[in-house]
Amino acid sequence: MKVTTQNKINEWLAGFLQKSVVIAPVETEGKFVYRQIEEYSQIAWDFERTDMPPKTAVFPMTEPILYIEQGSKTILKNPPLPKNKIVFGVRPCDARSMLALDALFINKEPIDPQYAHHRESVTLIGLSCPQMWDSCFCTVVGGAPNSTDGLDILITKVGDHYAVQTFTEKGTELTDKLISEEKDLAIPKPVLTENLPTLQKSGEWMELFNNIFWEELSQSCISCRACSFVCPTCRCFDVRDELTAFRPGVKEFERLRAWDSCTAAGYRRIAGGHNPRDTQNKRLRNRFYCKFAYYPDDFGPLGCVGCGRCIDACPAGINILEVITRVEQMTEREKVNG
Amino acid sequence: MTSLENQIRNSARKFLEDGQVSCVIGYERDARGRARPAFIVKADDTERLIWDSDCSLNLVNYLHSRKSPPGKDQPIPKTAVVVRPCDVRAIQLLINEQQLKRENIKIIGITCAGTDINHQLRTECEFCQERIPLIYDVLVEPEKPVELPASQDAYADIEEMESWSSEERFDFWTKEFDRCIRCYACRQACPGCYCFECVAEQVDPHWTSIALEVPEKMFFHVMRAFHLAGRCVGCGACEAACPMNIPLGKLNRKIAKEILELFGYHTGDNSENLPPLVCFNPDERLKI
Repeated sequence: MKVTTQNKINEWLAGFLQKSVVIAPVETEGKFVYRQIEEYSQIAWDFERTDMPPKTAVFPMTEPILYIEQGSKTILKNPPLPKNKIVFGVRPCDARSMLALDALFINKEPIDPQYAHHRESVTLIGLSCPQMWDSCFCTVVGGAPNSTDGLDILITKVGDHYAVQTFTEKGTELTDKLISEEKDLAIPKPVLTENLPTLQKSGEWMELFNNIFWEELSQSCISCRACSFVCPTCRCFDVRDELTAFRPGVKEFERLRAWDSCTAAGYRRIAGGHNPRDTQNKRLRNRFYCKFAYYPDDFGPLGCVGCGRCIDACPAGINILEVITRVEQMTEREKVNG
Repeated sequence: MTSLENQIRNSARKFLEDGQVSCVIGYERDARGRARPAFIVKADDTERLIWDSDCSLNLVNYLHSRKSPPGKDQPIPKTAVVVRPCDVRAIQLLINEQQLKRENIKIIGITCAGTDINHQLRTECEFCQERIPLIYDVLVEPEKPVELPASQDAYADIEEMESWSSEERFDFWTKEFDRCIRCYACRQACPGCYCFECVAEQVDPHWTSIALEVPEKMFFHVMRAFHLAGRCVGCGACEAACPMNIPLGKLNRKIAKEILELFGYHTGDNSENLPPLVCFNPDERLKI
């Protein structure tokens, strides 16, 4: 087991900062978000779970996906390739969320070139959770506070030391530069939250599609999109061609994509004005069904990693863990009633 | 006198049992002890209703989904709603703007001692001179009278910001909006924002970029504040809804202060006088 100290980690980070883009958790006005840092002292170490996920490193809030020049000819240009990035302080749930995003963006045709380039360019250094935090439920969706899925490196704080585990070549390239010693170090098991529900399979969710529960739940939803935007696995986006320059005979556009959410009223509105999800009920139900039924059926992994950020962000107190519990209860009741 | 919560429950129960309303919108406690909106349709469920300083989302916002007939030849539903004095001003505004009809609403008015944002008393509540809603069908009263604050300077923090230079103010808001994720929770929680399609999202004309960058975010927030000029009631729902703790109330209250100074108008005083920027009054003179 490679074991190191805070000082050595700081030196290691200082080394990267000279050559690479480093993204790490920082605190701003009481909120913890991932930002590019210039010095390792900017890193916030005392967070439980960041308020925004690190998905911005592979799926930015806004990015141009094409440049278009419309003149006598139409000229198309791809955006430049992203720089290599080291994302430090990734919680195990957030690393698993990258795998969930991969399932859509790169593991199934058509491949999203933007996302693929970002994903190639990142090295993920994880920070293990000593416990499940308030509103966490990673164990319900197949994760764990010390899961190694999707990470290149995982560091775990044990007293005054850090245990360092490396899983990939990308990771080894970095940990080769970390000063550490080989030692036996017992890593305590993380403290798990008890009495969590069992997630039902997609088939059971589909049985409950027309249940009045969704209508009652969605009454308090204000279609605000906060849940989707703090979510590490939500990945829907809007695309617009926007005029950036105009001179005689030539118009320049950038094709921008920006985060969007199925909870928004206009999200599914189509030309002509028809909206298949015209009520709050249909939209909120869709969000849960996408995570627990449609996404696993279509792409494999669940669309949720149990981070609980949506629970904290929802202004109307809608709680995804409560929904999972109710679905379990309703499914059990159905089974008993035959 | 029974506790605030018992009074709320009793009046809600009566409204439902007498068939005066088909739904009572109030607050309940979730499994984590936080207050959240509750939609009560059965008299026995009124036991779920609570009231505490965590109740800071404006429930009047939910009346927008109950202001139209649910189907052809059906009447507009009747709803009871639990409100603070600031919330009730939103009802007056919406009646004024022909969104709501007074006869379709039963107002359960709270004698309010202030509510919290992020576990701290809201700035507006610190100075608010209103304890009792301007209109109500039932007034919920505490066991001990709630005292008025000593200071009447409702805009002390705004005056402080006014003493900053333009650059300082611009830097302050740039920092705040850097954190903004343009989720529109503020807009969605606001009872005054009920446009079917918001300018910020309109495709044609494409008024503003979809980018989630500081210039676009600043544009959205400043534009929204201007669209609420003379219409914002200071309920703080926008701040309560914001997942990133942005002090949006400071923008809206700055404008509310100017409207008060220029027009002598305080939103929601009644449901007859339209906000000054919404109507044309030839006799109007600015108090410059």
